[in-house]
Amino acid sequence: MTAGAAGRARSISPRLAGLLLVSPALLVIALFFIVPLGLSVHSAFTDKAGAFTLAHFAKSFEYYGNDMVFTVAIVLLSCALIAAVAIAIAGYLTLGEHPRTKAALRWLYRWPLFIPFVVTGQVMRTFLAKNGMLNHVLVGSGVIEPLAAQSLLDWRGIVIAFVWKQAPFVTLLLAGAMASVDPQHVEAARNLGAPRWRVLGGIVLPQVRGTLLVGLVLSFVTMLSVLSVPMMINPNSPTMMTVDVAYRISTHGDYAVANALCLVSLLFGAAGAWVYLRHAVRRAEQVS
Amino acid sequence: MKKIALCLAAAAAMAALPAAAQTTLNVVTAGDQNMVDYVNTFLAPRFEKLNPGVTVKAVGTGPGDAGSQKIYEKLSAQSKAGAAAWDVDVAVIHQRGAATMVKENLLAAYRKQIATDKLVSRDSAKNALGQNVDGFVIPMFHSQIALAYNPDLVKSPPKTFGELEAWVKQYPKQFGYNGVKGGMSGVGFVMGYVSATSGLGKQLEEGPYDAGRKAAIEKSLAGLKDFNRNVVLTPGNAGTLDMLNRGEISMGPVWVDMFYTWVADGKLSPKLKLALPEPGLPGQPMYYAVPAKAANAAMARKFVEFAASPEIQAEGIVKKFNWYPGIDAQHVQSKLDKASWDKLFTDIKPESLQRYGRPFPLSDYFTDIVEGYERVVMK
Repeated sequence: MTAGAAGRARSISPRLAGLLLVSPALLVIALFFIVPLGLSVHSAFTDKAGAFTLAHFAKSFEYYGNDMVFTVAIVLLSCALIAAVAIAIAGYLTLGEHPRTKAALRWLYRWPLFIPFVVTGQVMRTFLAKNGMLNHVLVGSGVIEPLAAQSLLDWRGIVIAFVWKQAPFVTLLLAGAMASVDPQHVEAARNLGAPRWRVLGGIVLPQVRGTLLVGLVLSFVTMLSVLSVPMMINPNSPTMMTVDVAYRISTHGDYAVANALCLVSLLFGAAGAWVYLRHAVRRAEQVS
Repeated sequence: MKKIALCLAAAAAMAALPAAAQTTLNVVTAGDQNMVDYVNTFLAPRFEKLNPGVTVKAVGTGPGDAGSQKIYEKLSAQSKAGAAAWDVDVAVIHQRGAATMVKENLLAAYRKQIATDKLVSRDSAKNALGQNVDGFVIPMFHSQIALAYNPDLVKSPPKTFGELEAWVKQYPKQFGYNGVKGGMSGVGFVMGYVSATSGLGKQLEEGPYDAGRKAAIEKSLAGLKDFNRNVVLTPGNAGTLDMLNRGEISMGPVWVDMFYTWVADGKLSPKLKLALPEPGLPGQPMYYAVPAKAANAAMARKFVEFAASPEIQAEGIVKKFNWYPGIDAQHVQSKLDKASWDKLFTDIKPESLQRYGRPFPLSDYFTDIVEGYERVVMK
């Protein structure tokens, strides 16, 4: 009897200890994430008198509906281009046959990973301008006529900055996954006469699809939240929602509409999280 | 036991001594980096030399009204928390921020207590976007928005907004400005356009506020939408100057002080010129204010008195930083050599500044105009 009781006491105490161990982390999450989120949600749905209202959302959609569409379109287009660039680079790193080119590429492609978004924005601002470096090179090398030079500092500039910054991240994940694909699969396909692009598309890519998807979802959520790049390249309409949030706060001191916009943005991010979780769960099930 | 207590008391006294002799004056400033630079590199060393034991610490809160908004939020939070002493001694703020802070009793009515009070008589020292701020603020400087243009490409700049509209049609994509989300030079241009084309100029500046004017404002903004078809939208105040400098546009609204500073730093072609079209573009002062419960209020007043003195205004505000003086011009002019004074008025003469340098519209109209811009022009 006494031994059983003692055993039970011991079986409870580790659970308590576990709870105690996670409590600081839980507390931090509750204090710095859940509470501010709750306050944001509250402010988005209440008017000045404290009553429930949907007016802030109505205003968000009336003023910034275009920007919402624009934001999603920009981010999705960037994701597609990032995928293309990442597959090309990671594919060459895995299947390429020229060791020196591979070494140079491996060394070069990671650089943007270490450059903050705000610096990227600043670099692109002079690089993509009408009389910027890109056009100088194009005109100088005779690719385009001087009069055909145009500024890329609009939605295209934002896409270029995003792809430049995020493609290395996805490539890093993808190249790692591709390296762990069983080389026998590749060799078998090559022996049967498949060209490299078919090996990439038919053998390697299907096996690393999950990693690519995860990389893209993480990039999607990251790009959704970037303020510096759209602010520096194209703060005028149409622009991304982050600029509108900053503008509502800084020019109007209007936290309610800003919070409503943030919640809409959160919904977009949640869609990404949903894809991510569904994929992660499926993967976990496969493993078990 | 007694010994320990004595030791502790002695230690406390020693710790307190240098603190009593050493005062840190917290100057929190909105605006671009040049504001922080001005306090740190120009004002602080001179003030500290005159007042041994005082350290001036300047902190910037960011450009535009957003910077003032942050100061407002900080003071408002300290006020609501019932703090006895606030940790901002001197606040440097925009008109909109000053209006809100005076309305919510966050500022001290300190101006009568300092000597430089007598040197300010301009309207902007009493009235900030319709709010009476008399006694609570002293202008640090005035800044003005004007059209910068490249005289190689534009022989005679437009003299009115009507001429500007015609010019833009004739030379599409040669005029650039930064919309309403990319800094105040763009916002100011929009205000100027609405003032000029709606026929509401006087009422927008002096009131009374009438929500019924929205229709007239939006009609004028519809004209701006047409106007925008032939212009380039630039990324920010600096973006307009950059594009002018690279020759991508040949005209655009800019802050005059920024323009002169960029020319002085070699970042902008000295060939570019400035013009003020009729009936004018807005400008605004930055204000020195002392929060209602500033921890070092007496020292803060001393600091503002020093910063607003004619010598400092001449040497720092006009000569080094290319701003128009905050206190009345005649007090400053006598302290400056003619060349430095004339440099400020090379392109825009004092009399046209007097006539065409307008205040920003009242807060409520301001909001109607920028929100109208979003609804009408951006759609």
